[in-house]
Amino acid sequence: MTAKLVKTEAVVEGRTEVRWTLVEEDDTPEFEDGAPTRPVGEPTPRISARARTTGSARYTVDVALPGLLEAVVLRSPHANARVTSLDLDAARAVPGVRCVLGPGEGPEHAGSPLTDAPAFAGAAIAVVAADTPDAAEAGVAALAPEYEVLGFVSTIDDGFEKQDFLEEPTEHVRGDPDAALSAAEVTVEASYAVPAQLHNSLEPHAAVADWREDGLTVWSSTQAIFDARSTIADAFGLEPDQVRIICEFMGGGFGSKFGVGPQGLLAAELSRRARRPVRLVNSRREENLAAGFRTPAKMDYTIGASRDGRLEAVEATAMIGMGTGGWPFPVLEPVKSVYACPNLRLMTAPVRMNLGPSAAFRAPGVMEGTFGFEQALDELAEKVGIDPIEIRRLNHTENDPESGKPYTSKGLLKAYERAAELAGWEGRDGLRGDGRVRRGMGVASQYWWGAGGPPAYAEVRIGKSARPTVTVGLQDLGTGTMTACAVIASERLGIPAGEITVHAGDTSRIGHGPASGGSMTLASIAPAVRMAAHSVRTDILGLAADMFEIAASDLTLEDGEIRSVDGTLREPVTEVTGKLGNAWISGSGSRGPNPDGMNVNTFGCQIAQIAVDTGTGAVTVERVVAVHDIGRVVNPMGARSQVMGGVLQAIGFALMEERVVDPTTGTVVNAGLEDYKVPTIADVPEVVCEFVGDPDPHLRMGVKGLGEPPIIPTAAAIGNALAHALGVRLREAPYTPRRVLEALGA
Amino acid sequence: MRAFGYARPADAGEAAALLRAGARAMGGGTDLLTQLDRGILPADEVVDLRALGLSGIEHDGGGVRIGATTSVADVERDAGIGERFPGLRQAAGAVGSPQLREMGTVGGNLCQQVRCWYFRHPDLQCWLRGGETCYAQIGDHRKHGLEPGDCISVAPSDLAAALLVLDAEVETTGRRMPLADLYRKATAERRSTLVLEPGEFLTAVEVPRAPDASTYVIAGERAAWSFALVGVAAARFGDDVRMAAIGVSNLPRPLDPDDPAAGLPGLEMTRWKRRLLETLASDARAAVGR
Ligand SMILES: Cc1cc2nc3c(=O)[nH]c(=O)nc-3n(C[C@H](O)[C@H](O)[C@H](O)COP(=O)(O)OP(=O)(O)OC[C@H]3O[C@@H](n4cnc5c(N)ncnc54)[C@H](O)[C@@H]3O)c2cc1C
Ligand code: SF4
Repeated sequence: MTAKLVKTEAVVEGRTEVRWTLVEEDDTPEFEDGAPTRPVGEPTPRISARARTTGSARYTVDVALPGLLEAVVLRSPHANARVTSLDLDAARAVPGVRCVLGPGEGPEHAGSPLTDAPAFAGAAIAVVAADTPDAAEAGVAALAPEYEVLGFVSTIDDGFEKQDFLEEPTEHVRGDPDAALSAAEVTVEASYAVPAQLHNSLEPHAAVADWREDGLTVWSSTQAIFDARSTIADAFGLEPDQVRIICEFMGGGFGSKFGVGPQGLLAAELSRRARRPVRLVNSRREENLAAGFRTPAKMDYTIGASRDGRLEAVEATAMIGMGTGGWPFPVLEPVKSVYACPNLRLMTAPVRMNLGPSAAFRAPGVMEGTFGFEQALDELAEKVGIDPIEIRRLNHTENDPESGKPYTSKGLLKAYERAAELAGWEGRDGLRGDGRVRRGMGVASQYWWGAGGPPAYAEVRIGKSARPTVTVGLQDLGTGTMTACAVIASERLGIPAGEITVHAGDTSRIGHGPASGGSMTLASIAPAVRMAAHSVRTDILGLAADMFEIAASDLTLEDGEIRSVDGTLREPVTEVTGKLGNAWISGSGSRGPNPDGMNVNTFGCQIAQIAVDTGTGAVTVERVVAVHDIGRVVNPMGARSQVMGGVLQAIGFALMEERVVDPTTGTVVNAGLEDYKVPTIADVPEVVCEFVGDPDPHLRMGVKGLGEPPIIPTAAAIGNALAHALGVRLREAPYTPRRVLEALGA
Repeated sequence: MRAFGYARPADAGEAAALLRAGARAMGGGTDLLTQLDRGILPADEVVDLRALGLSGIEHDGGGVRIGATTSVADVERDAGIGERFPGLRQAAGAVGSPQLREMGTVGGNLCQQVRCWYFRHPDLQCWLRGGETCYAQIGDHRKHGLEPGDCISVAPSDLAAALLVLDAEVETTGRRMPLADLYRKATAERRSTLVLEPGEFLTAVEVPRAPDASTYVIAGERAAWSFALVGVAAARFGDDVRMAAIGVSNLPRPLDPDDPAAGLPGLEMTRWKRRLLETLASDARAAVGR
């Protein structure tokens, strides 16, 4: 097959990346209208379900190698300090300690993850590798650090006051917002604030590194094995081929695990020096201090509209509490992209604070920004006396409002209609009641990217026993991507998904696959897998055509059989593959570029129904209706589980999750799961989930992404429902009993 | 975690001797081990009390006797308690999660340490831990108590509130006292909310008689597995209604049924809890009738 290099653009969580990629010509036929797509589009249980539930799945923390050393990090207890004394030699003298790295030490070609000027409580100062965890801890204790404690900034307001920004604040203008605002018939001013949400992936950040003469292997809990590989290779001056990254199973990452992280770099350097494999695993506390967070933000909106509710102009400011790192997440994206609005001024100020570095967190920026703007929009709806869904329809846009480009597909109007129907929107005012418990219903729109794109490669093999393998260069962070790959191959090969083995999470097996992020993974890999499987199918049918003397075009593969279209031939596939001996048939596939001149986006809407006890301030989410357009749904069971997870994580954000920083010491007081509350199964509402998108006509296979969309509108819909129930708007998440009771005058 | 020794004596005298020598008592360890993990009140030795034969629930006459190492789950499951002391059963069922209830003991529940997030902070040593500063009063005390004082943390034990309204008595290695007397405010000289002397530990709790009605209601931070923001117990003996709350004061706090928030003004960040307390008190009162 001919391959060529093409230049492609990909939108990763709001940032456009341009890259050259190698793609092969793809002659896989598209699904025909009305033709069966089985099992694509049918519910398929996760292929790793058994391994995950029985405990046989091997996560990074489970990797045990002969001679393994355990590493423990010394972290700063102070929000801002200078280390004035550190006894590295005393640590080295502790029995069992094999290697100690201090501030400034680390891989030769990368900045050290260790510092003597810790700028947040939890910053890494030194690391000790020893025969046992106890010896490593004893080594850390022997370091006996002393500090000069410095002043710190722990709130967005203080950071802004000091004009201390991680990056220069930005301004984006469309049209003439000043003129349009002063001419507007109606204006609404609204402010919202959200706290830092902590990822709390059940599996912490972890790495096991094994440095050998012939290369370096790093087991890493990572959302991007190939990014991890290039980071490690660059840091140690190795060729990418000398580095192997393995990530068999993951227990979540939610955006906080791109690359190898400091764990990978430190474990590799310790292993290089100690000539022993080294394991470095974050504790839960370390996770919550140093492994990232969704940025807290303060958002102010001034909306100008016509009396009938059409948006004329929006001026919006977002102050984002970055901590000591991360990139300014697109908090004002919903203002820019969800509705038609000719005039805008968007100002974003990424404030530095003495807290850990922030990290992407499932729909970073957009989820927080949706929380603010979708509630501000409801305030406008109320002011002009229009139904909240109606005002969203009224301001609907058929083209991207910024570039004017058309979308490849957009099912948002359909989503409003279906969600309203499923939720019983018409009867919402009848829900409220006037007793101690009030009910309310609120809506919010969802906008996100999710096109995916190259590079993404897949290989499919089938041997004698007709149990195919699919190999992909990605990692499954728990979303079910590997299952989806099996489903896609199954459709072409006519062999049940459960009999297909998917190899992923190993850079030594195949070329680049997508990172697990930006809702791009499946949309990237799906066409490549299908293409590889189609190639194998073509070869099998070609061999069968010779063997049975029927034209290949009159043969199909179904239920493990080769069948003729006229029904006269039904033979097991093994009739053909059985002749392969020790050889196999293999096919490769790659992902082609997205169409030029069009935007690929996912859309949706959610409606939340809540009950609030005005005596206790307890808010209960009773029901969430989630209707999204994600193009073709590959595995409805997997898709539904993504929606459940997104909705639940958003309920945590809306009702209980909040990092609390002590104003006196600048340290986090709830860096553990007993005080930082995440929802439990008892908080799960009824979730009604539907997909309204047609397969995207401009994308191969028509698949768009789903990782992020479901978390985006839930919290805003809950906020709108709460305001509907109480007639009072709460401007700060989460909606804890305290905030509710205080809003009611307690 | 710093290494420590572990003893599981079968003799109460031996246990007491070890405790007098500075060891810490352990029931299920669900609180103790998380304290030691963070260096809170560190000890070189832990004494497991579960081999002393102190587990079991005995109903006699109108009352009930519960051994100190009985699991919270056994209290929740006990048919007699469910029938005659529904408030106590509800309180047992409100403790943490099923796993914690299986491991946690009644003695450990009554003697657990406060949950103040400064007290539990591995890098800070607050006033109650023997330090100089009550960080909560100058810091974030949104979940703290309604009473001013040296320490503004709150009593966390669900069982304590439910047992208090039942006039429970505790039996220790050396004495018997009303449950209310087990607790007292910490002082500059003694930074503990328990009256226990070195070497002394709880051996049983006794409730003398069953109420005509009883209940326990809580409000937490999520639907399950949350310490009470406020928990209120009520019991009615004839016309006499007793009420007590946790989550509002250092100690499990008796309430005046007619004015439950009396003497509990609230602090800067906790005034909202008054409303919560009033709501739960009125719910509890309604549940026991009269
Ligand atoms: C995540 C989490 C959630 C929790 N939620 C709740 C909750 O909702 N409600 C609640 O009430 N508790 C809760 N707890 C606290 C605790 O788990 C329970 O109170 C449990 O019953 C404690 O019993 P234990 O036997 O495990 O105590 P241990 O941990 O063994 O002991 C606790 C303390 O009591 C002392 N002690 C133990 N036994 C005795 C004795 N016989 N005499 C004198 N002192 C003794 C110990 O020295 C220690 O200081 C929670 C704990 C965790 C970790
Ligand atoms: S409230 Fe009590 S436990 Fe909390 S910081 Fe103050 S003294 Fe310590």
